[in-house]
Parts: sequence; C-alpha cells; structure tokens
Amino acid sequence: MSTKWKVLLGFAFFMAVVFAVGLIFGSDGKKDSFQPQNEFKLEPWIPIQIGPLDMSINKAVLYLLLASALTVGTMVWISRRMHSKPNRTQTAVELAYDLTRNNITGNNLDRKMSLKWFPFLATLFFWIWFSNMIGYLPLPTNTAHPVDILGVEVPAFALYAATANISIPLVLTLVVWFSYHFEGVRAKGLFPYLKGWLPSGIEDMNFAFKAFVFVIECISQLVRVISLSVRLFANILAGHLLLLFMGGGLAVLLGLAALGVLTFPMAFVFYVFEVGLVATLQAFIFATLSAIYIGDAVAESH
Amino acid sequence: MEFVSDISQTLVLAATEGGEEEGGSFLVSPGLGLMIWTLLVFGFTMWVLSKVAFPRIQEALDKRAKLIADSIESAERAKRESEELTAEYRARLSEARKQADDIVSRARKAADTAKTQAAEEGREKREELLAAARRDIEAETRRSLERIRKEVADLTVLTTEKVARKSLDDADHKKLVDDALAEVDFASLSPEER
Repeated sequence: MSTKWKVLLGFAFFMAVVFAVGLIFGSDGKKDSFQPQNEFKLEPWIPIQIGPLDMSINKAVLYLLLASALTVGTMVWISRRMHSKPNRTQTAVELAYDLTRNNITGNNLDRKMSLKWFPFLATLFFWIWFSNMIGYLPLPTNTAHPVDILGVEVPAFALYAATANISIPLVLTLVVWFSYHFEGVRAKGLFPYLKGWLPSGIEDMNFAFKAFVFVIECISQLVRVISLSVRLFANILAGHLLLLFMGGGLAVLLGLAALGVLTFPMAFVFYVFEVGLVATLQAFIFATLSAIYIGDAVAESH
Repeated sequence: MEFVSDISQTLVLAATEGGEEEGGSFLVSPGLGLMIWTLLVFGFTMWVLSKVAFPRIQEALDKRAKLIADSIESAERAKRESEELTAEYRARLSEARKQADDIVSRARKAADTAKTQAAEEGREKREELLAAARRDIEAETRRSLERIRKEVADLTVLTTEKVARKSLDDADHKKLVDDALAEVDFASLSPEER
C-alpha cells in the first residue's frame, strides 16, 4: 500500500470518527455561558491598591515574574559555567547571545550606540522570548474555574502569556519610543532631529508641502507606538485564541462534540507553529525594530 | 453548514460585545498597575543581566575568540617553523649529497690516479729490470766473446805452433790471430745484430 493510500485511509477513518461522534452526541446548542475571552481576564489574587493605582498581583504579574526568573536564572546560570568547549545548552544560549549582539544590535547601531543599548535590546529579546515560551506551558493558574481534588480547590491548568496582555508590550514600546526620541534629540539637537524626520528629496518643495509631510511623519511616529506593541500582543493573543478554539473551545461554545474531534488535530499543528516559530519570531521582531528605531533616530541622514 | 454561521456569529458577537460587562474590551485596555509591574520586573531583569550575565558571557566569548586566534597563530607559527626546518634539512641533505658525490668522485679520481701511477711505476720498473737484464746479457756476451776470442787466439797459436813447429813471434802471432778472427763469423753473437 502506497503512502498516498495510507494517508487517504487515515483521513477517511478520521472523518468517520467525526461523523460518528456527530451522530451520537448531536448538537447541544450554543452555550453563551462560555466566554472564551475570559481565559485572558485577570483576577486580582492579592489586591494591592495604592491611591487610585491598582497594583494587584494577578496572573499577568505571576507570568512577568516567571519570565524574569527564567531569563535571569538561565542567563546567570549559563554565564557562571561558560566552558571553552560548550555543550548544547551553552551553544544555544551563545547563539541567541550572538543573535542579540551582532544581528539585532550590531547591524542596526554603530559601535558606541551598540555598547550602550545592547543590554536593553538583548534583555528585550530574551525576556519577551521567555514570556512567549512559558505562555505555551499549561500552568495551574485558572482560579476562576478551580478543580476539586479530594476536597481541595486547585486552580485548573491553563495557558496564558504576559505578552498576550496589551499593557506589557505597550509599556515596553513606550520605553523604546521615548528612548529613541531621547537619543535622537541628544545626538542632533531638538530641531535638527525633528527636521530629520522629513524624507530626503523634498528640500526644494514649498513650506506648506513640507509641513504636510511633517504632519504625516508625526502620525507615523505615533503609529509606531501602536504597531510595535500590537504586533507582539496580537500575535500572541491570536495564537492562544487559536489554541483555545482548536483545542475544544469552539466545540464547547457551539455545543458540537464532533467539531471538537475535527479541530483537535489542528490544535497540535498550531501549537507547533506557535512554539516553533511565532514565539521566537515575535521576540526577534520586537527587539530588532527597537534597534532599528534607535539606530534611525541617531543616524546622520534619513 | 449551520455551525459555520454559528462560528461567524460568535466571533462577531465577541468582537461587538466590547462595551458590555462580560465582553472582550479588557483585552485591549491597558492597566497602569500592570505597566508599572512590567517596568519593575523588566528593569530588574535588565539590571541583573547587564551586571552579571552579559559581561561574563562576553568575557568567555572574547576569551574563546582569543584562544582560537592564538591557536591559529601558534599553529601557523609551528607550520612556518616546520617549513623552515624542512627547507633547512632539505638544503643540508642536498649539501650532504653534494659532498658525498664530491667525495666519491674525488675517491674515484684518486683511485684512477693511483692506478695509472701504479701502472706507470710497474712499467718503469719493468723497463728498468729489462734494461738491467739487457745490460747484464750484453756484459755477459761481451765477456764471453772476449773469452772466445782469447780461446780462439790461444787455439790458433797452439795449432799453428803445432803445425809450424816453431814459435811465432809477435808479428806473426798478431797476423795469425787477425786472419783467424776475420774468418770466424761472430755476427750471430753480436748484440747489435739482434
């Protein structure tokens, strides 16, 4: 039997199971009580209120601390046992370090700026990467739906990612945004820096046109705040929603057990896609774009 | 196909429920508290990494890069040295070979000289011996001739005396001898004729 027939037969069997489950369980009708977005809702575990500021410890704070602990732990642990003949873990970390140092930082900034901004950009990469990666580990964090084990209420296992919360990419983006403007103004002075926003080739145009272009450039600078933060946030959130829906969320929502059988294999595919590509890619893009923005702000010509 | 429209309805519902209590608006509304937490945690992470981890990793990498550079350099040096040594050995070897060839050719020449010299000496000695032998023979021949001559003379004198019954005076004597001698052919005994 050729591979093609094996695949076809497997697929036919799979579809048969889907139809059988569909026939046996039928449809329970839509369940409006299940709100998928609530998987991302933050419940204050330890409420801390400082004036109007809500500093409560919640799931996102836990993930921040986890990401930080993992980043610091891994990097410090590796840095303490750097051998001249590296093992696999050290090689992987060295590769990542080299990526942050030469590719992300070195390619986009000159030597002096590289030295200055390398710790920030490298931390961005490593920390976002660890944040993304722990987002694909099921952790007992769902306190809204605890599981009763022998009379003890244990939080259900759930997937969550700090980077799937807009606050976290947004504040990192704001740090980048203010940093690169600060560096630009410091390198060139306020007015030359603002003038540098204008693209080359319009020096001979009249003032009104220049003003018009400047306004567009201002908007594009402001949009960077949204594009940089939302790119990371939306990618991770969308990935988690996909895993949630494919992993059974859609079946529960629509009350169709057969749909769950149909979508479940897709959950594996998306999981591999997210862990294997999106998590690393988004961390890399965020750090690289930050480097490009900083490099652009201090570069002599636009 | 019913569930397909259900899915789209749900997704639209989820998107439009923004303003309501159980909607998804919290997904896109940033919280200041969480932002401050992020700054604190990120700042701490960056501080530790830049103080402890990154310098150590960089140092180790630099050290390794230096080690590699040193290794390459020393390998190159060793190679250069070995090449020099090889060249030197090769030069010495060719020199030695030349010397050996020299020695052999000199020895051959010496042997040749010795041989020709020996041959020359041998020849000279032989000729000397030959000459000596010839001289001896000549002397001997002469002496023999003298003796024969004397004998012939005596015999002639004696014979003549017997025949003539008289002794010969000196003049007769001399005449007789010369006549006898003239008759006798000594040619075959003369060394000059040989």
